[in-house]
Amino acid sequence: MGAQPLELADLEGRTYRLADYRGKVVLVNFWATWCAPCREEMPSLERLRQALAGRPFVVLAVNVGEGGRVAGDFMKTMPHGFTVLLDRDGSATRAWGARILPATYVINPEGKLDFRHVGALDWSSAEARSRITALMP
Amino acid sequence: MDRRAFLASTAAAAAVASLPWRSANGEDGWRSFEVTTRVDIQRPSGVSRAWIPLPLAGSNEWHRDQGDAWSGNAARAEVMRDPKYGVEMLYVEWAAAQGTPYVEVTSRFATRDRAVDLSRPGSGAARLSDAEVKFFTAPTELIPTDGIVRETAESAVKGSRTDLQKARALYEWIVDNSFRDPKVRGCGWGDIKAMLESKNLGGKCGDLNALFVGLARSVGVPARDVYGIRVAPSAHGYKSLGAGSPVISKAQHCRAEFFAAGIGWVPVDPADVRKVVLEEPPGNLAMGDPKVVAARQRLFGSWEMNWLAYNTGHDLALPHSRGPKLPYLMYPNGETGGERLDQLEPDAFKYAITARELKA
Repeated sequence: MGAQPLELADLEGRTYRLADYRGKVVLVNFWATWCAPCREEMPSLERLRQALAGRPFVVLAVNVGEGGRVAGDFMKTMPHGFTVLLDRDGSATRAWGARILPATYVINPEGKLDFRHVGALDWSSAEARSRITALMP
Repeated sequence: MDRRAFLASTAAAAAVASLPWRSANGEDGWRSFEVTTRVDIQRPSGVSRAWIPLPLAGSNEWHRDQGDAWSGNAARAEVMRDPKYGVEMLYVEWAAAQGTPYVEVTSRFATRDRAVDLSRPGSGAARLSDAEVKFFTAPTELIPTDGIVRETAESAVKGSRTDLQKARALYEWIVDNSFRDPKVRGCGWGDIKAMLESKNLGGKCGDLNALFVGLARSVGVPARDVYGIRVAPSAHGYKSLGAGSPVISKAQHCRAEFFAAGIGWVPVDPADVRKVVLEEPPGNLAMGDPKVVAARQRLFGSWEMNWLAYNTGHDLALPHSRGPKLPYLMYPNGETGGERLDQLEPDAFKYAITARELKA
């Protein structure tokens, strides 16, 4: 199944498109600052990103409906090297069917949805990492 | 993927105008709330399951869904949608080995008071398709639209021509002929045929507003119940029409709407008029009491949105359950050891629902 299109701006206003990441595994994580399990799992996303540095892998963390100031202030407290995008009106979140947070979608290098998970996970676990690396070209 | 290997946290006339029902709220009237539902399955036996109603999805002129989050120790959690009415719920399942099953769902939403201008009926473009009219005039298992229901409605609307006039006549009929019965468990299940046949029109919102919906549908006026929960005190001076504390585990409340061509969906709440009569201090108010008169006028065409809307569904089969259908989904539901838990007993189930307003 092809993944939903995604085109959103980051905290600095730069536009990112999911389609620009063909050839890479993309992890799209929908989150909010008020969502306790989202906050809980976010460090594991960063650990996963670091563990796969140099490999064809990207994390896009989509903040749901809170705006740049709230999301930006929070991210200052959360060491991260991944891209944070803003879904200001929640339309991308609805289009992706992310009714409940956290919701994470893993897109393969062909741009197709490989799997999705609703709820927090330890994304830095060996099991999660091996599932993602298995998708890499 | 084996989720066990992951984090444990996988885990709303001149004399009347001067009464306390006044315009409230801030700049554009929108207020945001957070509602948290915590379910703990007591004495689990075998596989346990829970079904938790989620707020109305999307946005309209009076409600904006702002997101939901969950945490807990479930083996499976999935948002499920009833195909007929679009009722959304979080389905949660725990393995038999889980000794202390729990789940917590946090929902954020914004809402603002809702009032419809009924002074220019038919002037707008709002129309329902033939299919929608058919859908919103159809009977449900507990809301038949024939027999005594239609006979009662036809008598009550005699002389009325438009849907707006018919709905008004039915609203007034219910306010005049029903009463709030505090002995009814929960909100009442809305068995309107039995109510009419027994000539006992006592009940709560699930009964009295279902009566409005059934009577309206029976004479061709599209109508629906809207199930939800009160989240805050009334800002209009009605102690009986708001949540009295941040713990709202027993504050479930359903309302009703009817559709008037040219106007759109019109909010009504005859059950709350009878609640004001019974419960507004000092209690057992006369129908001519100014507070009753004001509520009666305003609850035909407006809702105070200190309330969260869940859904408009009827006759719901809970997914992955062999238990009976529900007349509606307004309470958390659960099962353990193959037996349904009592959704009207939050302390035994158990579940707790809390609400707080989010200040900018």
